[in-house]
Amino acid sequence: MGEHGTGAAAGEPVPDIPTRIRTGLSAGLKTSIKIIKVSVPLYVAVTLLKGTPVLDLLGKVFAPVMGIFGLPGEAAFAFVAAFLLNLYAAIAVLAPLHLTPFQVTQCGLMMGVAHNLVVEGGVLSTTGARGGVLTLCRLVIACIAGLLLRGLWSLWETAAFRAMALPGLS
Amino acid sequence: MDLLLPALLGGLMLSVKLILIIVPLVTLFEVLRYLPVFRRAGNVVEPMMRGVGLTRDAAIPLFTGIFLGIAYGAGIIIRVAQQKGLPARELFLMGLFLATCHSVVEDILIFIVIGGNGPAILVVRLGLAVFLTGLMSRVWKPA
Repeated sequence: MGEHGTGAAAGEPVPDIPTRIRTGLSAGLKTSIKIIKVSVPLYVAVTLLKGTPVLDLLGKVFAPVMGIFGLPGEAAFAFVAAFLLNLYAAIAVLAPLHLTPFQVTQCGLMMGVAHNLVVEGGVLSTTGARGGVLTLCRLVIACIAGLLLRGLWSLWETAAFRAMALPGLS
Repeated sequence: MDLLLPALLGGLMLSVKLILIIVPLVTLFEVLRYLPVFRRAGNVVEPMMRGVGLTRDAAIPLFTGIFLGIAYGAGIIIRVAQQKGLPARELFLMGLFLATCHSVVEDILIFIVIGGNGPAILVVRLGLAVFLTGLMSRVWKPA
């Protein structure tokens, strides 16, 4: 039962604190380098891409899809920024659009699931998981989450509307 | 060319940030992991994790990822995967859970700042993560 502990295994000798610190520092550095080797070249590539018309083009391609999730076409540019860069880049695009609370929530949900896909996909691969498959999963899950929230939000609004309307009727 | 320099500089900043977060985190983990508290915490989360097809070996990387995110959590994920030899199935399930639900604190806070509904985002992400991982753990049976 205890052999699957997250801490020390049953028979494993417990090293003293200085040894553990040394192990931690060297393991931490090795892991950092492993992640840096993957994520930094990807980061540089995506940053260079930002200077080309590729982002604009992708935004135009995705604009018609935005309506499915209750979002305006302009939000597509924020999604491209989120997918390729990060949430801060996306918010910089979203802020001037003056979206409704639902639309901001929708963006937060969908982009929360799928953002920084290139760099994080690389990181996921270094853990031994299938980075490409998981990245595809994130895009699909973001769409499922978006449809789910749209449905839940309209149910919620209908319920809230009824609750407010009832006392007036009686 | 005037684009390459900021890109490389940003890459350097990213490296520094990763080292500054991952090294202390892994060191802290190494120092603390022999404490009995860890085992007891493992006992508490084990029933919940079994529902999504994970064992307690995945508990620390999973919770690190949920709170800190994939890049910083990966430091712990790689370390634990090496130590425990996490099987491919468990790595996939953990990856799926984290793909849907990670870095919940930072991600949700920045959208609350621009007027989003934080609890709604959290509920849908967590619910979907549990549902999808639970579903996949039943589709992909353990060998």
